[in-house]
Amino acid sequence: MPRHKICSGILSPRGHRFLLENFGPLPRETLHEPTSCRGVTFHFPSMVSMPMDFFHGTTPHLHRKYSDHWAIQRSGAEVHDQTSFSGLEEKGDHVLVHARKHGEPVEYRARQVIGADGPSSLVVRAVYPDYTKQIPWFFVGQKFHEIIDCPLSADYFHFWFHPGLGHYTWSHARDGRQIVGVGFKRGDNFAKKHAVVQNYLEEKHGVRLKPADDDHEGCAENFGPSLINRYVFGKGNVLVTGQAAGFLNMIGEGMSCALHSGAISGEAIVEARLRNIPVQEMYRRMIASEVRRCSDQWNPLKIAFDKPHEADFPAALMALSWRDRAKVLRDMWRFVVLFKEFKWGRQIARAALQRPLVGGYSMQRWL
Amino acid sequence: MLKIPLVEPGTVGPCPVASDALQGIKRQQTNPARWNGAGWPAFVATLRAGGVELAEGSVACGVYATDAGGTAYGLPHGVVIARNAGQVSFLLKTAQTHRVPVTVRGGGLTTEGESVAFGGVLLDMIGMSRVVSIDAAGLTVRTEAGIFWHSLAEELRRENLDYLSAPLNMTSSVGGTLGVGGIDVNSARLGCSADQAISLQVVTPSGEIVECSDSENGELFQRVILGYGQFGIITEATLRIRPYTPLRMYYYYYSSLRVAIEDLQILDRNDASDYSGILTIMDCAVNLLVAFDSDEREAAFHAHWKSRLRGYGETGFALCMAGHYALRPWKFREALYLLQRKREVFPEFRRAEYMRDKKMYDRTVVFSRAVWKHWGSKQMVIPDLATPADKFIEAVERGNAVCRKYFTHYTLYCVGIKLRPEHLPHYEMSCIPPGAEGWAYGCEFEPMIEGGIYSRDHFQSFKNAIYDIGVDMGASYYRFGGMMKGYIRRVFGDALVDRHLAMKRKADPAMILNRDVIF
Repeated sequence: MPRHKICSGILSPRGHRFLLENFGPLPRETLHEPTSCRGVTFHFPSMVSMPMDFFHGTTPHLHRKYSDHWAIQRSGAEVHDQTSFSGLEEKGDHVLVHARKHGEPVEYRARQVIGADGPSSLVVRAVYPDYTKQIPWFFVGQKFHEIIDCPLSADYFHFWFHPGLGHYTWSHARDGRQIVGVGFKRGDNFAKKHAVVQNYLEEKHGVRLKPADDDHEGCAENFGPSLINRYVFGKGNVLVTGQAAGFLNMIGEGMSCALHSGAISGEAIVEARLRNIPVQEMYRRMIASEVRRCSDQWNPLKIAFDKPHEADFPAALMALSWRDRAKVLRDMWRFVVLFKEFKWGRQIARAALQRPLVGGYSMQRWL
Repeated sequence: MLKIPLVEPGTVGPCPVASDALQGIKRQQTNPARWNGAGWPAFVATLRAGGVELAEGSVACGVYATDAGGTAYGLPHGVVIARNAGQVSFLLKTAQTHRVPVTVRGGGLTTEGESVAFGGVLLDMIGMSRVVSIDAAGLTVRTEAGIFWHSLAEELRRENLDYLSAPLNMTSSVGGTLGVGGIDVNSARLGCSADQAISLQVVTPSGEIVECSDSENGELFQRVILGYGQFGIITEATLRIRPYTPLRMYYYYYSSLRVAIEDLQILDRNDASDYSGILTIMDCAVNLLVAFDSDEREAAFHAHWKSRLRGYGETGFALCMAGHYALRPWKFREALYLLQRKREVFPEFRRAEYMRDKKMYDRTVVFSRAVWKHWGSKQMVIPDLATPADKFIEAVERGNAVCRKYFTHYTLYCVGIKLRPEHLPHYEMSCIPPGAEGWAYGCEFEPMIEGGIYSRDHFQSFKNAIYDIGVDMGASYYRFGGMMKGYIRRVFGDALVDRHLAMKRKADPAMILNRDVIF
């Protein structure tokens, strides 16, 4: 510790408030430059751009290497550094966790285990070995460029609804460089995808960047579960939380959901013991509020008639001319079609209709 | 290791993110971290050498893991049961020397973790629960501060006496109540419980035992009353009391919050009743309760005020509701809930063992029983808003909309608080909203949890939504300490809070007493 972490670092205002309330004000060392992000700008192939400020002001641009370390220190948690999870055995009244420390096997005995190990979670694989084969996987990678000229505002996180660029394309400033990121279905070539985006940015937005530095990074992502309410919360005494469970909000930010759902998993264990209720039942009932909050962001009815996001998309849309609004809706539809192959449409529609009828999302679909 | 700058309790740290991040929210940790235990062994050794009994270990400390709110959890390093002012004084002196935090607990009926210790010593005041003396002629009582209100009531009844006003929940302690306010259904006439205190014996954070009142050590008295435990531990209190009288209660039913509140305020302004308050089932059935200590007052009410009230009697309201829901069959679940709630709750206020000649003979027991049986649960989530009279209707209506958004079933409890001009210094930075004149009004927004399971985040979001209304309207809150202390600077402003912080630092140099409650 501290350890490197792949992340955009743009934390939502809700996540910022959680850190503040639980761990105190962020020290300067935990932030990149620029230290804050004012909002999100959506860009469309028709060259319409929609800047949207976050509702509660700017939000931190976290340096995850140090902000995670700071939060761990502030929490008072005991850390077993350089120890990696390798498997677990559910024993009914406890769990045996197998791990490796400096290459040597170590074993932990715990009454409950919380898996918070990100999208390609080893804990999820240990509990549901076939799960990873059942969902589509994406790769998300970012490269860092020295800037020659960049007209994109450094105050915003930029996102492109462009089916030709990839499933998730973004850019923002960090520590004097420009991040160019691209997400695509696993199996495609990162270098090629990235080159397409870099050329597009130069051609369409005048973003002139030097060749990428060597410190590029990437990881596997599970975009689907929060769209279609297919979360994975574990089994028996093993709870799964954060992005491992499938929490990811619409701007691809998983930190605020991870902070809140992680806290809920801990609370669920305490409450389950105090009330003598099975921990899975307790966790699933408590996590329902976080599911609502996260899945609402992907729910087309909520997007159309409510404000589920932390920036005001409907207001930004209405600020455009009629012609531009039409262009935006057309481009968004074309972008959505990119995801057609995953057959999420009916599942999204079913979840969207469930929300007003039962006041939430069905727990039956959770693993 | 990362260098984490130390933030002194009560101060607001710098924000390197941006000045406009989290607009309006102060850069303050509100959920306390556990105290690190530095110097604990030496502290314990000193205490024990001084003859103070201190219990350690999970069995002794686990009892105090949470409060009535049930959402804040923490464990003290050790527990001391209060025995006398001398012992409390020695504890605080030793704690100052060793910089060990001391959290004081009475009935533990806080809802935001104010009486939960996140390390350090928990001082349980229930060890000091004797009535010292009763002056029946002068109508005063001197009591130790750890006593519960119901125990005090029991002692007073033997002398055919009664307290003036006390919280509806009778397992709250006298000391704790005087520290935060204490609202009764007669507060619109008599003020809050804290207004009934004549003098106090206080152990200051540095361990001095001081007698204080408006005339003796007045500044300390002003700070301790409604002081949220920051400026001293109340060990004894002299309170005003009165002759005991049974009361006769009337109920008027409304379907409009606004109309019911307007009628409540008319009664309060005109001193038309001895007791008044509003208790609702959501915003569907709004019950204005009115009660009297004497036949004369009751007769005056019937002669002058009853006809002006726009509420219905029970039968009239039932017919109204039947018509209302007959035209709205899709709301049949709501109608069933109202009916079920009526069947459960109403008989509780008319139990034969407490009624004679249609008079309620023990409101202490009736209200306390009803509160626990029909409103209490393992977790009590009761955000509130306190406003001047003219802003109250808007505050309640806005809070009601928040309740509807977050919960299916809830109740609102509204009551007025008569302000005493001579007590204005007591009210500074308290639940009494700045700018209130004559009366302040409070409304509690209480979801009916009914065995439901919610995350703390859900409760917190609900409370934040209610408290944001308070910030917007310049109101105050009854429960602004503990986890909600992030709102203190937002509603009272930095200048006032910093002034109190300076007083606190002067009185409590090591900031040991109830450290995480306000600052």
